Amino acid sequence: MTTTEGDVLVEDDVRTQKPWNVVVWNDPVTPMTVVVVIFKRIFGYSNNKCTQLMLAVHHEGRALVWSGGRERAESYCVKLQVAGLQCTIEQDN
Amino acid sequence: MSGTRLFVRRRDGRIEVRINDYGREVIQGAFANVLAAERDPNHEWHVALSGPIDPSLDHDNPLSILSRENETSTNAELAELTVAEQFLNEAEAWAWLTTLQVALRSTAQSKGLLSDDQLAAAEPALLDYVRTLQQFLFQLAECF
Repeated sequence: MTTTEGDVLVEDDVRTQKPWNVVVWNDPVTPMTVVVVIFKRIFGYSNNKCTQLMLAVHHEGRALVWSGGRERAESYCVKLQVAGLQCTIEQDN
Repeated sequence: MSGTRLFVRRRDGRIEVRINDYGREVIQGAFANVLAAERDPNHEWHVALSGPIDPSLDHDNPLSILSRENETSTNAELAELTVAEQFLNEAEAWAWLTTLQVALRSTAQSKGLLSDDQLAAAEPALLDYVRTLQQFLFQLAECF
């Protein structure tokens, strides 16, 4: 296990992986209360937070509803799509 | 339909469905269409059910797509099986909510109702169908 100094590769450029964002998109037909119920059920957020996110979707056309690792982001995206919301994931810039 | 509560949460936790035969027919049709669209790639709703998970990739994660297909089918099957029931448990009511919502958004997408203006200009029969599904969804969501 011993090695000379020349064999050791030193990585001094350490970067953390950028998070993946779950984005919900607005549509003209989904009732607001349905969006709130779906957010509560899937994320377990408070009623206030779900309402704020729903209003962000409504007024801005889209809202970032969760951020983190890719696998969980995909899983949440699938759950939201199964619940009938328009949803995608994207990596943070 | 206005003024009448179509879904009522009872003390035992079940949700009572107070919809007449016509309403049940509308709901049954929506459930059946979601199931058919999930199974038939040529169904006009199929595109709405298979939107990309990650638009930046040419191919989405196949496991995620499989998971979505399975979960959507399961919800729609459970909803269709319970369409004539007077009382729904939590899981059944959730299956109704998600399947009705999938039906609503699939209808909007397949008919090009992608903005408020397009929705306002929709033909009366289509607009009536959309409003009916919205009313069911709005009242069912109140029970959660």
